[in-house]
Amino acid sequence: MMELIDREDHHKLYHQLYEIFKNKIEKSEWVLGAQIPTEEELCKTFNVSRVTVRTAVMELVRQGYLKRQQGKGTFISRTSQAEGLNMQAHLRELCFEEGIPFSPQVLARTVMMPLNGLDTLLDISPEKHVIYIKRLWSVQDEPVMVQECYIPYHLCPLLLEDDIETRSLFDLFEKKYGIKITRVKNFIELTHLKTDEARLLNLPEGAPASLLTQQFYSGDTLIMYMQSVKKSDRFRIFMEFERKVA
Amino acid sequence: MADGKLVKDVMIGIFEYPHIPYWFTINQAVRIIKVSFISSKKYPEPMAILVFDEKYNLMGTLTLKDILRGLEPRFMQGSEKAQGYKEQESELSLIWDTLFTKQSKELAEKPVSEIMAPAKQFVDPADPVTKAAYLMVHHDLVLLPVLENKKKFVGLVRMIEVFDEISDSLIKE
Repeated sequence: MMELIDREDHHKLYHQLYEIFKNKIEKSEWVLGAQIPTEEELCKTFNVSRVTVRTAVMELVRQGYLKRQQGKGTFISRTSQAEGLNMQAHLRELCFEEGIPFSPQVLARTVMMPLNGLDTLLDISPEKHVIYIKRLWSVQDEPVMVQECYIPYHLCPLLLEDDIETRSLFDLFEKKYGIKITRVKNFIELTHLKTDEARLLNLPEGAPASLLTQQFYSGDTLIMYMQSVKKSDRFRIFMEFERKVA
Repeated sequence: MADGKLVKDVMIGIFEYPHIPYWFTINQAVRIIKVSFISSKKYPEPMAILVFDEKYNLMGTLTLKDILRGLEPRFMQGSEKAQGYKEQESELSLIWDTLFTKQSKELAEKPVSEIMAPAKQFVDPADPVTKAAYLMVHHDLVLLPVLENKKKFVGLVRMIEVFDEISDSLIKE
């Protein structure tokens, strides 16, 4: 029986679609190596928008279940979740603003509308305003990371005036706005520097780099979507997992 | 003015309008117009987007007319001095139709900073509404930014509210 979207469900449409697709992969309904239906076909089947389908697919691409091949389509690349990755981790080690002697330079802090599925990712209406922050992080004057953050404006409008060069965003969220970060989703992948990133990091365009995509939650509310592009040779990512033993 | 109404009495909040940074493309601005106004069936007068710099300073406004002008194929953008008959102008619009898919799509990748109307005229919240009316008439504006102490962008004045205030003072006995 085909699983369908439940519009009464409080979960976001893309999340429901993501679960449906993941089930299809894990139950081998969509077999390893096979091509998944086109965006258009999936839109028709589930009666959802292209943005919803794309966001669900992107999530599975990030998790390694799917692989996109330009001009060819999207294919199943893995049928199960890698073991051990669901263990508990300490938040501190996953936040790059903590523990490492970074110094940030604010390149942009402005307001924009959520395009390219950002509204779905942030679970806000597409007419809602979003605070956009772009920072260049350096270690001992060497630029090492370009970071872009997207925060729904209504959560903390005064963030536009806060000092974000000496205070961390987490500190402001928790101490000034009373928003406690309770969960962070992290996706790490390899990327190639775009023109602007290469210029900021003093590297050639197309040079390899690592991309860390993070989604910060307070309870079930997504507080911030952040993308950090880092020089791949400059440092290693350290994560310590603590497994809960029954 | 009879009632001595001030800009602060008629201004609206800046979040009534979509915001974008200047590096967004025309294509992105069009998508925002579609989502914020057309799909949601909200038709404010005027329909516009506010364009900001990287420090969240207002740089300009973008109306539907600015966007259409930005998408117009280059050869049709005659100089102001050019002479022409109206018949020829309507024929030119047909040529635009045939070229639209190609050239206008390329033009849609330009940043909005190239086509927006730069924000040069401002009013203070304590200014009289008549000053806003004067600036709108003499600078052909339908939307006027309100700056507090010549610095902080706190609101917008629209032609419709200005007109409403001025017409009230005319009609009242």
